[in-house]
Amino acid sequence: MKILIMLLALALMVATAEVRCAEAALPQQSVYQLGDSFSDHNGQDFALASRRGKPQLVAMFYTSCRYVCPLIIDSAKAVEHSLDADQRQHLQVLLISMDPDRDDVAALKATAQARRLDSSRWTLARTSRDGVRRVAALLGVRYRALADGEFNHTSALVLLDIDGRVLARTEKLGTAPDPAFMQQVRAALGSQHATAPHAGSAPD
Amino acid sequence: MKTHTRRMLVLVMMLTLAACQQPAPVTAAPEDTGGSAKGDFGPPVGEPIEAILTAPPLVPPATGRKQPAKVVVNLEVREIEKEISEGVTYTFWTFGGTVPGSFIRIRQGDTVEFHLNNHPDSKMPHNIDLHAVTGPGGGAASSFTAPGHSSQFTFKALNAGLYVYHCATAPVGMHVANGMYGLILVEPPEGLPAVDKEYYVMQGDFYTVGKYREKGLQPFDMQKAIEENATYVLFNGSEGALLGDNALPAKVGETVRLYVGNGGPNLSSSFHVIGEIFDKVWFEGGTRYQENVQTTMVPAGGSAIVEFRAEVPGTSVIVDHALFRAFNKGALGMLKFEGPEDKTIYSGKEIDSVYLGDKAASAAPVAAAAQAAATGALTLEQQVKSGEALFAGTCSTCHQSNGAGLPNVFPPLAKSDYLNADKDRAIAIILNGLSGPVTVNGASYNSVMPPMSQLNDDEIANILTYTYNSWDNAGGQISAADVARVRAATPRPEGAAH
Amino acid sequence: MRLLPLAMLMVPALGLAGGGYVTLPGGSYKSVLAYEDTGGTVTLAPFELMKRPVTNAEFLKFVRRLPQWQRDRVPSVFAESRYLAHWASATALGSAALPEQPVVMVSWFAASAYCEAAGARLPTWNEWEYAAAADATRADARADPAWREQILSWYAKPSNQPLAEVGQSPANHYGVQDLHGLVWEWTEDYASMLVSADNRTQQEQDRLQFCGAGAIAMDDRENYAVLMRVALLSSMEAANLTSNLGFRCARSIDEGTP
Repeated sequence: MKILIMLLALALMVATAEVRCAEAALPQQSVYQLGDSFSDHNGQDFALASRRGKPQLVAMFYTSCRYVCPLIIDSAKAVEHSLDADQRQHLQVLLISMDPDRDDVAALKATAQARRLDSSRWTLARTSRDGVRRVAALLGVRYRALADGEFNHTSALVLLDIDGRVLARTEKLGTAPDPAFMQQVRAALGSQHATAPHAGSAPD
Repeated sequence: MKTHTRRMLVLVMMLTLAACQQPAPVTAAPEDTGGSAKGDFGPPVGEPIEAILTAPPLVPPATGRKQPAKVVVNLEVREIEKEISEGVTYTFWTFGGTVPGSFIRIRQGDTVEFHLNNHPDSKMPHNIDLHAVTGPGGGAASSFTAPGHSSQFTFKALNAGLYVYHCATAPVGMHVANGMYGLILVEPPEGLPAVDKEYYVMQGDFYTVGKYREKGLQPFDMQKAIEENATYVLFNGSEGALLGDNALPAKVGETVRLYVGNGGPNLSSSFHVIGEIFDKVWFEGGTRYQENVQTTMVPAGGSAIVEFRAEVPGTSVIVDHALFRAFNKGALGMLKFEGPEDKTIYSGKEIDSVYLGDKAASAAPVAAAAQAAATGALTLEQQVKSGEALFAGTCSTCHQSNGAGLPNVFPPLAKSDYLNADKDRAIAIILNGLSGPVTVNGASYNSVMPPMSQLNDDEIANILTYTYNSWDNAGGQISAADVARVRAATPRPEGAAH
Repeated sequence: MRLLPLAMLMVPALGLAGGGYVTLPGGSYKSVLAYEDTGGTVTLAPFELMKRPVTNAEFLKFVRRLPQWQRDRVPSVFAESRYLAHWASATALGSAALPEQPVVMVSWFAASAYCEAAGARLPTWNEWEYAAAADATRADARADPAWREQILSWYAKPSNQPLAEVGQSPANHYGVQDLHGLVWEWTEDYASMLVSADNRTQQEQDRLQFCGAGAIAMDDRENYAVLMRVALLSSMEAANLTSNLGFRCARSIDEGTP
């Protein structure tokens, strides 16, 4: 909260030209336009825009979920597994909880450890309840809290480019990744690194 | 679950076919066409084609293609207020601005890239379920489109036939009742036989808060729709759509094909054309045709293709033969055939003779009079008796059997000053009819009496003799010779019998 | 540094409450959306709801104070290109947008931002539905065919005519106006309506798409008047907008309510 107010105060003071210039760098269609503050499973605060620079695989989940959410993590892992080591280094995975009431930093940390997620590539994150609603809207995820504490939700993996624009989306989850989606992932990684030999090769 | 199994099957079938690319040439009449399993002729050939869409009653030209193509369809949803009957408007929800929606024509095996564009002025989201689509919802879920948006999905038309499409957004019945349906024709690979005229006719039932023909903008009445109590049953979305100047034209000798659909939402159609026999009916819009059909059933959400040859000139009326829909709810349309008469096929009225049914006994005097007239021994009594019988059959419907007529409508013959004033005039009226105002016993009448050209001179003489000798009239006798003299003096229209 | 648009929303209320709020008592009622887990019975805490939808004049005030919501500045992820397209310019209304007409052509993001700036939030679907179940004399008039017919008569009007000004309709039992017959309205949780795009296969598709319990069942099929609102909202994405979709704000009374 304090940070936000400071940012605001700064923003109001800074010459508009400067602000506009800074904003111009971020594409209009970027999910990173979202200003909400997030916390990762190590307790670090971050804004989505700080993820710029590498393609992201983004999904929403909640840790107490027994059925679909483990599958979401499995699906993201499956995407990683079908990449080679070099490609894998250039893809980041961001999982955002839709249950901020129960998913505190500790809960996220526990899940990251239990599922042996590599912190150099994987981030489990939480934000405010309003932030959840906004980020879900940007990712096209629909969800509803149920009376028993579970969530009813659509499950999707979303691929963002280096500037946070949505490149691809799949609702086909499972340990065999959606071929069309994988093609997009490889293309994104290929376009990022011209040296990568995989771009456009061997489409499924 | 069911959907999955089905999809798998289709997939397997498509894989099996992939090696063939083209369907095996048909050498003998096949037991069946193979349906969707033999409907995939491989990837589209050539540049994508923008589909020609037509507003009813027009139909796009035949595709004329021998290979599968990629066809792009752009269909716009618009919510518009239009006339449903004279002076009555309704807010229709339409595919392409018309009810029924634009006609789409493709060929089996085509890949269709479908764009559903929902106009920015729309209040509602809409989607489309094409019965020609093999896949969940017929495209409904993939085409759910908010106002001011556009959705795209692609399907391969695996089955030939004439298919209904409609909106499937909740509440589905209401979207359909507001006019959201149309037809898509998937031609078989060899196309359909060429005909001279093709038209697009689609029935629908409508439910308004106001009564049939109650003026003004009429809102939809959900309760009537639930009760299936239609206010209007219409061809092509309005009462006059196919009437008068909008009648579907054809020339004598031409073969006419109607692509008939029924959008419902509720009522099945007993589709019939008065005075035509369908030479062929591709019943249910499918592959086979039945021949020589009078009335074909078109279910809600179904179709039929009917074909006939215009043999004689005139107007043929299209109806739902559930007749109160035709004459009380608007289910009427017209076909207008122009060309030379062929009396050997249809003569027009040749004879209108007296038929008395159980009064047949009283026909005896007519026969007796005729015989007496022939021998020259006709008495006044015989004439009156014969005239009475003829009067009962020909005249009493209007002038009543007691000669009193109907007040303000049909003038009296009883004690009639007009009748008694001029006997030749009376003969002339029976021969030539009478229209325009007349004053009888102080009251004026303005109805039309057709010429009674079916009556011969003897019969007219007998009817008048009976009339003059009844109901306090002046009496006297009319002879066949009197009638012949008047007939000779006044030219009379040919074939004016009615 | 980069300006974070939503950080701006922490600005205190800007006097954007227009016709003011009325208080609704809350309580239990039967929602037309009968989720498996709730059976359709919903319990609401007391809340406040704007008496009328937000107007063009009010929204103009908002975009002047928070320029990042002006149509030439808002990022396209937050509002599609037609955002406020009927206004004369980014900061002027013009003849196609009269001051007292409800504001339309606004995205969910923009509507949410407005309410936040007003120290409020969008109403939940259940709050909206609860308020809209009333007629002038009864808290729940939904069983009355006349109530339904009146709502349906709006659907029968073509939408290419100018919108009426707000506040023309009689106040309902709670003192709220224009819930029916003027515009569709955004709700905070519109995206929680997990309604399939093809409602005929409701059950099956929901299970495939949404997995797990809580599939929606539209039990009250008679209540198509409300279901059409559900259909409209479920067709929208958060950056979408239409020429008939506006909003009003709500406030919780009890801070502890979820």
